[in-house]
Amino acid sequence: MAAEDLYYGMLLFFSTGILSVFLTKNNAKRTNYIAHSIALMGCVMAVLCAIFVFFLGELKIALPVLLPLGQMGIRVDGLSAFFLLLIGVVGAATSIYAYGYSREYYECRLPLMAGLYNAFLLSMVLVVTVSHIAAFIIAWEAMSLVSFFLVNHEYEKKANTRAAYIYILMTHIGTVFIIIAFLLLAVAAGSMNFNQLKGTLVNDFMRNIIFLCAVIGFGTKAGMVPLHIWLPRAHPAAPSHISALMSGVMLKTAIYGLCRFFLDFLGTGPIWWGVVILVIAIITAVFGVLYAFIEHDIKRLLAYSSVENIGIILLGIGAGMVFLSCQQRTLAGVAFSAALYHVFNHALFKSLFFMGAGAVLQSAHTKNMEQLGGLIKKMPYTAVFCLIAAAAIAALPPLNGFVSEWLTFQALLFLPQALSGIVGKIGSALLIALLGLTGALAASCFIEAFGITFLAKPRSKKAEEAVEAVTSMLIAMGMVAGLCIFLGIWPQVMLTILQKTFLGFLGIDLNGLTSQEWHLLSFAQGQAGGRISIVGVVILLLCGALVAYLLYKSHGRETNTAGETWTCGIVPNPHMEYTATGFSKSIRTVFKNIVHTYSETLVTTNENKYYGRDLFYHVRIQYFFVSVVYRPMNEAIIKTATFMKSIQTGSVQLYVGYIMFITVIVLIWSTRW
Amino acid sequence: MDLFLSMMQALGLLIIAPLVAGIIKKIKARLQNRRGSSVFQVYFDLVKLLAKDSVTSPTVSWIFSVAPYIYFAGALAASSLVPIFYFSGKGFGDIFMLIYLLALGRFFLVLASLDAGSAFGGMGGAREMFIAVMVEPALLLSMCTIVFKAQTSSLGFMVSNVMNSPFSLAYIFAAIAFFIVLIAETGRIPVDNPDTHLELTMIHEGMILEYSGRKLALILWATAVKQIVMILLFVVLFLPWNIVGAASLIWLFIKVLLVAMIIAIAETSTNKMRLFKVPNFLAVSCLLSLLALVAQ
Repeated sequence: MAAEDLYYGMLLFFSTGILSVFLTKNNAKRTNYIAHSIALMGCVMAVLCAIFVFFLGELKIALPVLLPLGQMGIRVDGLSAFFLLLIGVVGAATSIYAYGYSREYYECRLPLMAGLYNAFLLSMVLVVTVSHIAAFIIAWEAMSLVSFFLVNHEYEKKANTRAAYIYILMTHIGTVFIIIAFLLLAVAAGSMNFNQLKGTLVNDFMRNIIFLCAVIGFGTKAGMVPLHIWLPRAHPAAPSHISALMSGVMLKTAIYGLCRFFLDFLGTGPIWWGVVILVIAIITAVFGVLYAFIEHDIKRLLAYSSVENIGIILLGIGAGMVFLSCQQRTLAGVAFSAALYHVFNHALFKSLFFMGAGAVLQSAHTKNMEQLGGLIKKMPYTAVFCLIAAAAIAALPPLNGFVSEWLTFQALLFLPQALSGIVGKIGSALLIALLGLTGALAASCFIEAFGITFLAKPRSKKAEEAVEAVTSMLIAMGMVAGLCIFLGIWPQVMLTILQKTFLGFLGIDLNGLTSQEWHLLSFAQGQAGGRISIVGVVILLLCGALVAYLLYKSHGRETNTAGETWTCGIVPNPHMEYTATGFSKSIRTVFKNIVHTYSETLVTTNENKYYGRDLFYHVRIQYFFVSVVYRPMNEAIIKTATFMKSIQTGSVQLYVGYIMFITVIVLIWSTRW
Repeated sequence: MDLFLSMMQALGLLIIAPLVAGIIKKIKARLQNRRGSSVFQVYFDLVKLLAKDSVTSPTVSWIFSVAPYIYFAGALAASSLVPIFYFSGKGFGDIFMLIYLLALGRFFLVLASLDAGSAFGGMGGAREMFIAVMVEPALLLSMCTIVFKAQTSSLGFMVSNVMNSPFSLAYIFAAIAFFIVLIAETGRIPVDNPDTHLELTMIHEGMILEYSGRKLALILWATAVKQIVMILLFVVLFLPWNIVGAASLIWLFIKVLLVAMIIAIAETSTNKMRLFKVPNFLAVSCLLSLLALVAQ
């Protein structure tokens, strides 16, 4: 079977990629090209394999390894294939991008990075395809460890090491919960094979425990608020193409895990499961985007925006679970396709912006937006690609972000059908309003990210000396940007894929969404439904632009005079430009209860008294969850440890004393019965 | 065919939009005991600007020249989605599409405001987005009353649903809520002052300060279209009665004039509020929408 060969081919390529670095370790340039080419081939295989699975049905392989814990099985059904496709597409782009970007690392342990890059891809494809609990957890751990090393790659910087350790700590807390969830299931099912876990009969109490463990466990990896604190530290620390993969793909493996649990293992749950997910989702979305907006480090901004997008994805999943509980098959289809459509979209536009940010970082050597500016003239192509990414993240039509946002809105709009009564109505209205707030904040946030980085005049010497990225990086970004536009204008392609993805899940019906005319995006729910045509709107937009052009040219040619920007008669200089901190000032003020900020103005008086003073304005943010949850927890742990220290003095006599004491107590206690 | 009709509608609204802007100005002038300029003055201004040459800052990039086109196209496309003549629901977009088309224009205009590198532009852009962030949830909430009842976000179905349902208290709450949004979205007093050029208070004007000549004409015209789109939304969703049939156009125009009058009266009787009071103003709108949902 072709799909099977392709699958083996993919595993082989990634494994060869890991080994190839040992053979080429003396020549960094050769390592770069060989290792990343092999990764690219592997990703192409992954894409092909996923496509074959979509057309030919699911793929099952039994591998005779891992014998002590049972046979390790590979099973690529629709859901796995969807995520395999995602890894393949984004991985292919980042592999091409890596050719150019890795030149930065010729002197900085490139072979290690290239090998780990292949291992990272390998572990991710294994996570989404294996169908055995032990194998899943091993792959999951491998993924966490490999990404830990990649985050810690530039360990010379103290901040990176710290980020990496917070990451590994948080991800392990998550893994603990995942293992608990899996083991509870395995005990009930009496098997560690995914096939047998499906529809396991566990009592309701156990099922709820498993649900909560899965939410916490996978939520930590996905970056759900308040478990997100590792994410904005770890993602910026990794090299940019790894950040793109981590944000675009690795977070999605957690979404895969959640879908597996909710759709496959646990079956249809009570309605409050969906409600819990919805509440978490909207908190995640709003907090994520608020923190993104007030950030001025461009990669941290992108990382926080990933938190926000995970929130939007979870909104779709939560709504879908509510509909599943109420047997609303079409609406469940709309909600889950909203979630997975957004999974794909976010993978595309976030990796695109991360790659753009990497290009900026490589040529301007700073991630701080306050020092950038004017790059649209130095890096015209990168600017165009970043603009496409920014517009897609802001969910503007006709780009892909809008389609999934629209589907999410539709899913929320029909929530009152499942949650009857006033609570359902108010709840769903609030969710819609907050999603709107999130959308508008995301738009502001990416206006800031693009506008401050690329527009106006360079704010520092570094930005002035920036040059355009190399061709391979531009090709990679161009590919992804093209996909963003394509999936926006022609959503039926993705919906067809999604229909195949959900083929095995009976509670979800996508026929309403897919069996329409090619240019439509619509579904019907009884009398009502939703219906838009993005192609139609594109035509309307083009006509509008044509009218504007005709009006523009109605009086013949115009003469354009150059005149400096108006700054009240002073010669303009970059210090007058708006900064990222300034741009978000009004939002910081309004949301000051959530976003505690301390601003400090530093004044240095110049030696010449008549000339004026230098002012430095600095804003420090106190994060709500850090101050409410993590800091008290830290302090409690340290306090307990300090208390324990006074017991644990190191004196053997005292220890013998303790043992005596305990023995006496045990003796007394045992004689009483 | 639908597409053609939508385009014709957009063109019609494009032609009529400056007139409505002119009428509001005239009413305002009358209320302030001035004679005021002609109601066609906005047309004269636009024609004058379209014939003028531009002065462009050397700092700007292509974003600056593209933004007016996108803003214009976005407003025009949004205006073609408002259900005025057909209620079949066979539109190309729904309420979300309309909102996001307006957002598309705003996105590029704010980017253009940052492009010239002046503090005025940045300040205007930042404030515009600040108000947009506050307006968006209020706008969606005020729509919820009708959307939940109609069980669809398609504008055509929403209108026919409102027409066929009895008048109720919920609609009055929702209508007031939407009117507040309308004022904020079209940049009117008390949120923004369309006539000011004082750097401390201007929002929309600050954003387009660097524009001149033909590009400015496009932006001003698109702003007028955006204003009429919001007014029409108010009319078709909250005062939809008697607009089908032969006399529909006359009724429609009367209603638009009525709304224009209310806007003018509201503008002359209040003064501009501080920027950080705007969230409270829009919170009133949100609360009214929630009340409407409860009352429904």
